[in-house]
Amino acid sequence: MLFSELYSAYYNTVAAIISAAFSPDVSEKELMGYIREEAFSESVLTILPSLKSGKWPLLNDDLTPKLSNAPSMPLTNLQKKWLKAISLDPRVKLFGVDFPELSDTEPLFTSEDYRIYDRYADGDPFEDEGYIKHFRMMLYAIKNKRAVKVSMLNKRGKRVCVKFIPTGFEYSEKDDKIRIVATGCKYRHFNLARIKSCSCLGEDYHLEVVPKEDIKKEVTLIITDERNALERVMLHFAHLEKQAEKIDENRYLLRMKYYEGDETEMVIRVLSFGPNVQVTAPEDFKALIKQRLTMQKSCGLR
Amino acid sequence: MAYSELIKNFEKIRAYMREFYVYGFRSRTEFASKSTRSYDDERRRIESWLGDYMRFTQTAEGKNVFLSVDSRTTKHNPLYKALKAKSFTDGDITLHFAIFDLLSSPEIEMTLGELIDGIDRLLCSAISFDESTLRKKLKEYTEEGIIQTRKQGRKVLYSRSCDTDISSLSDVIDFSSEVLPCGVIGSFLSDKLEKHESLSSFKHHYITHAIDSDITATLFDAISSRRYITIKNAGKNVPEARTIRLVPLKILISVQNGRQNLIAYHEKANRLNSYRLDYISDVKIEEQVCERFDLLRKRLAKAEAHMWGVNCRLNPRHTEHVEFDIRINGDEQFIVNRLEREKRCGRVEKLDDFNYRYVADVFDINEMIPWIRTFICRITRVSFSDRRLEKKFIKDIKKMYDMYDVGGGDENAVQ
Repeated sequence: MLFSELYSAYYNTVAAIISAAFSPDVSEKELMGYIREEAFSESVLTILPSLKSGKWPLLNDDLTPKLSNAPSMPLTNLQKKWLKAISLDPRVKLFGVDFPELSDTEPLFTSEDYRIYDRYADGDPFEDEGYIKHFRMMLYAIKNKRAVKVSMLNKRGKRVCVKFIPTGFEYSEKDDKIRIVATGCKYRHFNLARIKSCSCLGEDYHLEVVPKEDIKKEVTLIITDERNALERVMLHFAHLEKQAEKIDENRYLLRMKYYEGDETEMVIRVLSFGPNVQVTAPEDFKALIKQRLTMQKSCGLR
Repeated sequence: MAYSELIKNFEKIRAYMREFYVYGFRSRTEFASKSTRSYDDERRRIESWLGDYMRFTQTAEGKNVFLSVDSRTTKHNPLYKALKAKSFTDGDITLHFAIFDLLSSPEIEMTLGELIDGIDRLLCSAISFDESTLRKKLKEYTEEGIIQTRKQGRKVLYSRSCDTDISSLSDVIDFSSEVLPCGVIGSFLSDKLEKHESLSSFKHHYITHAIDSDITATLFDAISSRRYITIKNAGKNVPEARTIRLVPLKILISVQNGRQNLIAYHEKANRLNSYRLDYISDVKIEEQVCERFDLLRKRLAKAEAHMWGVNCRLNPRHTEHVEFDIRINGDEQFIVNRLEREKRCGRVEKLDDFNYRYVADVFDINEMIPWIRTFICRITRVSFSDRRLEKKFIKDIKKMYDMYDVGGGDENAVQ
């Protein structure tokens, strides 16, 4: 139902080419540019040649369109049903936009039809008035490139005041929390839910500080494929940049990159696989695992 | 047939995509079940769609191909591109643009004959379409909702559906495409918008579900219409897919490994079962509506109170008991907070200022064990009703002591 040429890169590219071809000065090189931008790496071998040869007789010999109008297509039922479904989500409502009239459309899914079963329970209060106000203030500041002054609770629960330039939102599906991506101050991220009050600073307000770079580190593991460990590990770490290789019949080597700030979380995640995963490098990561195991030894577990 | 970067059937490429993205260590010769020609074609296609993410390594077994994506820095799921590679005929694409050019606004209505003549004139007779081809295409487009029909006497008039303005939705479409089910549809919508920079990025972001989007959308369709379905279900160790008839009830999604499971009622076996979406193919929605749908949903809701993961039973009394205790220091309240926010069922009990207990009754303790291990360094007691699993849990920890030379891995030394 969803894998259809109506949504294909080729149809979109041809639409873009025909629209551009209405302009009298457009060159063949420019039309090729649309293919590189909209389609796939080998599409240049097909799209323009098919249009030029008359296989797809939509352009004249001089590359002007045979059509009278720039191509457009109404939304499909599937697209409308998905729009209706997302319009019901409280996170989407944060953006404060009006959806088009879809009263005769049934949603593709509702919150009754699916459940995220391993999301943490202390997610952000997406329907809280104060939270919504802060989100929209940040949205305004991001779009208008404005610095903000924020009063918030830090990790220790102490009220602090900071100034920064918000540049985007980062949402964690596992934590169900939104963080503001920032520049102009030494911290790169701020939890939106910790904000108590915020205001935009003047248009000419500049903040020159550059946040400390989030350093990427690498860890190497050996996976012993027992109890389906290989698949579980590979899926669990699928969101990271990684490279795997087979060592022997049931052992695999996995190198993964992670952000230094997430190191404790990575240690915990590696431990969750028990003896089926062994860290082989670097030594400092190994030491963190060892430290936890040494502490565990003193817990009297029998 | 000559190679093309477009494909007719997405099912063929699903396994390759998953293999290259999730695993990526198999060489060409290890794709034993596939022909080398097929491997070469599919690899070339994926490279054409996702070349920026494709990596290669040379091993003793040959060249390995894999996809490497840091989804925290990629604002749009790159795997969606694969779902934009559907093949079509020369007639399909020509007709598509010609029909919507003639029906350029919703007010224009034309009969089949008028459309045929109009297309002929528009294309200067470069290609001619017969009535049957055009009628079939219009029927298809009517089902998709992009063409409308109206009867005037004996004549059927065709017009384009009204346009929907989505120009103000770019931010929500960017966000929802990555976070909500069937996000690829958002990506299709995004393709219709002006080019813009997404404001949203994502952490702990799993993207593999993209390749199962068609299955997911069909299942949602069946769930909302409360209909029976038949599916082909394979498995890791079941290469030959079996056809089964089910009542689909709910889709369970993991944000800690990206897996999606269908929870469905297997009428013949009178069981609630869980089916991984990546093992499902060929979903067919039947005409028959399940009259017991609401009742089954209620029974599932009761069962959900005992589900740690995706394993479920109709009878909520068929559970296993789990308890484990942890020790914290005075300044480690955040560990108790972790227990509270990460538990999916059960309860946390305070034993004293430094000791806490987690208690639950679940269908499958195995699903919970990885989570319990995340508390290694402070677990003081475990008690499972399944003693075999309890022993295994403790034995595994001892094995880890040995693996990391912590000492004391042997039975007697652990205290």
